[in-house]
Amino acid sequence: MHLKFALPAVLLALAAAASAGVFPYRFETHTLANGLKVILVPMPAEGLVAYYSIVRTGSRDEVEPGRSGFAHFFEHMMFRGTERFPAGEYDRLITAMGANANAYTTDDYTCYHLSFAAKDLPQVVELEADRFQNLAYTEQDFQTEAGAVYGEYRKGRTNPFEVLEEALRDTAFEVHTYKHTTIGFEADIAAMPGMLDYSRSFFQRFYRPDNVIILVAGEIDPVEATLTLIRQHYGHWQSGYIPPQVPVEPEQTTPRRVEVPYQGRTLPLLAVMWKAPAFDPADLDVAAGLALGELLAGPTSPLYRELVLNRRTVQRLMGQFQAQRDPGLWGVIAQVAEDEHLPEVEKAIADAVAELERRPPAAEHLEAVKAHLRYSFLMSLETPDQLAGELAPWIALTGGVEGVDTFFATLERVTPAEVQRLAAARLRPERSTVAVLKGVE
Amino acid sequence: MRLLTAAAFALLFASCAGTRPPAPPAARVANAPVLLPVPSDPTVSFSLSFPAGSQMDPPGKEGLAYLTATLMAEGATTRNSYAAILEQLYPMAAGYQVRVDVEQVTFTGRVHRDHLAAYSDLLLDAILRPAFAADDLERLRQRALAHLTRTLRYSSDEELGKAALYTTVFAGTPYGHLPVGTVAGLKAITLEDVRRFYRTHYTRDTVTLGLGGGFDDALPGRLLAALAQLPAGVPALPPPPAVTLRGRQVVIVAKPGPATAISFGFPLAIRRGHDDFYPLWVANSWLGEHRNSSSHLYQVIREARGLNYGDYSYIEHFPEGGWRTVPPVNVPRRQQLFEVWIRPVPNAAAHFALRAAVRELEKLVANGLEDVAFALTRDFLLTYSLHYADTTATRLGYAVDDRFYGIGPPGHLARLRGRLATLTGEEVNAALRRHLNPEHLVIAIVTERAEALAEALASEAESPITYDTPKPPKVLAEDALIARHPLRIPRERIRIVPVDELFER
Repeated sequence: MHLKFALPAVLLALAAAASAGVFPYRFETHTLANGLKVILVPMPAEGLVAYYSIVRTGSRDEVEPGRSGFAHFFEHMMFRGTERFPAGEYDRLITAMGANANAYTTDDYTCYHLSFAAKDLPQVVELEADRFQNLAYTEQDFQTEAGAVYGEYRKGRTNPFEVLEEALRDTAFEVHTYKHTTIGFEADIAAMPGMLDYSRSFFQRFYRPDNVIILVAGEIDPVEATLTLIRQHYGHWQSGYIPPQVPVEPEQTTPRRVEVPYQGRTLPLLAVMWKAPAFDPADLDVAAGLALGELLAGPTSPLYRELVLNRRTVQRLMGQFQAQRDPGLWGVIAQVAEDEHLPEVEKAIADAVAELERRPPAAEHLEAVKAHLRYSFLMSLETPDQLAGELAPWIALTGGVEGVDTFFATLERVTPAEVQRLAAARLRPERSTVAVLKGVE
Repeated sequence: MRLLTAAAFALLFASCAGTRPPAPPAARVANAPVLLPVPSDPTVSFSLSFPAGSQMDPPGKEGLAYLTATLMAEGATTRNSYAAILEQLYPMAAGYQVRVDVEQVTFTGRVHRDHLAAYSDLLLDAILRPAFAADDLERLRQRALAHLTRTLRYSSDEELGKAALYTTVFAGTPYGHLPVGTVAGLKAITLEDVRRFYRTHYTRDTVTLGLGGGFDDALPGRLLAALAQLPAGVPALPPPPAVTLRGRQVVIVAKPGPATAISFGFPLAIRRGHDDFYPLWVANSWLGEHRNSSSHLYQVIREARGLNYGDYSYIEHFPEGGWRTVPPVNVPRRQQLFEVWIRPVPNAAAHFALRAAVRELEKLVANGLEDVAFALTRDFLLTYSLHYADTTATRLGYAVDDRFYGIGPPGHLARLRGRLATLTGEEVNAALRRHLNPEHLVIAIVTERAEALAEALASEAESPITYDTPKPPKVLAEDALIARHPLRIPRERIRIVPVDELFER
């Protein structure tokens, strides 16, 4: 999951006028008696509404052996219908309203999203509330869907980035569930058709109102009618979420490394990653870390200029300083021009880190990063669907929208010295994992 | 929001005429701009398009249009190094990108109003004052070659299958190579080639300026005055490719991999704006709306059988289907392809999945769309098409494409919605019969089992499907029909190509 801080513009002016906060829209948060949280963001939207159901369960919650990939698989099952609205009927109704409907799963959460005309909101609330409470599928449906998930895995195997990520995580983590990717280990995917009973317990454990947040954005002003609909259809949903005991990753004390073969002559990939803190919008280390990612590997970084523009030994350079619910990974991924360049690229990354440890970044460079992150965020809120998509990770990780303004306020407090301190403290070799993917014939 | 017509634009400037001294006749941009003012929008979206796409590549220099455009978008200008440009754009969280397709090259960007002046200066520099620096050329050439030889050949079988389909259908025509070019063509291009191509194809007589969002009244005039500095000239376009398929043919790309990717299609005689395009759109939406579970192909291959991740069909070019949910803008073409995309299936299921998809297409053309399916799809498209263009930048893209297709206000998507209001199932089925003929097909397959699949196809061998899990009797009964469904492809119409030979020249 990425918290992508990309923004549009509508809001900057509004935000400046309304408050010191960055988030430009008024929003309301309500919590039902059963624990279901509802966030409503009215905004002008040419008659459109975005409806997001955010389940705060992702692949990090797959703590039992052999169950990796299950959160994602279960996301697929959520489209298999209920007694009242069997899959065909659900599809027919969604199709008839011309909704743009889909879902995705990340390490930390699962998100079901629809974008549609405001007049269809009552129908959408009814359909979504029904499937979240009354999902019902046959064993045949379950097993067929397992085949589709395997197809998704196969599709990913021709993407070297996905192959790299799988090996990287397996190496970087010992016990935490970030050890596996969201789609899961192949052996577990292959075994999914036999997990029908487990799937039902998964639904009972995780799909509970106290683990779900509904976000509705768009033409919903006044919001009372929307809230009434949600109370009416979700009010009887029984709470009972029990958080899983996600293993705590022990402190890493020695560098790790993995070589990853890829079938075919793809461009080599190099990932240099370090253990990162959990996301907390008030944590100065987190804000400094996200700025550090830009300073280290962004398009105006010395590393980018040297490797991509001058030496041309790297074709793509990406800072991967992600926000995650538990301590995850931060780092740099380089798509390298030739295998023979790998050592010098790895050394250049190490040198760039050492330089950041040695002296603080230029103040104007840090200010440019802050402006970039702020404008990026604001420019990504143009439509209800964009806005909800942008907010979903914030909500999943922090439980609300307030974290946006908290984060940007924290970011303002980041100084060049803070970045230098963080680089020295966090980007230590003993906390690193390096993964190198090379094509083989 | 409203779309200003050329006439309205003339009035806008006429209102200022009295405040300016008379000027001598000056060079002017020939095309009226496409303006989409949205005063409440704090951002401004830009579009600059030129008919300078890859169909204009000289023989032996395939990739020249691509390199020229990317050097403008991702290279130095005579005023700034590329690194200096990035430094200026970065705090704005803005940039400009270029899309190079066979017909059009379109530069786009979006910026907050706070940075409008500085941003538009940088964008104009890129268009008017490209440096065409030697090191930028080498960087971008290297990247383009790596894209063809490493990424496309070895890192995305789905895109590879589609690329093999296009290059086979349009082989020997100006559409016959990918917009990025060929390996030999890219290697042969010199800086002088780039400069000459730029001088010839980037002219004030061909540029179309588009602006959307919260721009002020003065901006269009300022940009047009600057763009008038481009040289004059209208390079002659080649005629659209005239391709007539005879029967079915298969190209199998042999490469190792755990799954088989399949695309098939044929040239489509009509395009956006034609009256039959809209009924055909409905039929195609029912058969294979992109990334949508309402797609019939999706229902047959994925939903009922779990063979893959998705199955879709298209009546217009749709690049980057793997990571895009709605159609792209700025890929207009005078010649389109009808296309079916079957996402990777297990190698053992390839023959079966191909048969299933071809069979569904044949059934659709022969039987037409049932009334219930027609009504449902019509209702779906009425609202779903709103998602195609939900941002100012995308609406601007559609408006610019309307100019290419000669579609006047209120534009293509509005025309669809208007047409849906009166469309009948009979019209849909008549359009299907007129324009889709699955007897003439190119099928592109990426698989490691090339020889075995070729023999199986040619011999019409049965391709029974087995599942790890039980399936309903109805599915199994249909499976028996699919497994024997004739594809009618003789062995001499099946060509096996090693992956490393693709895109060479």
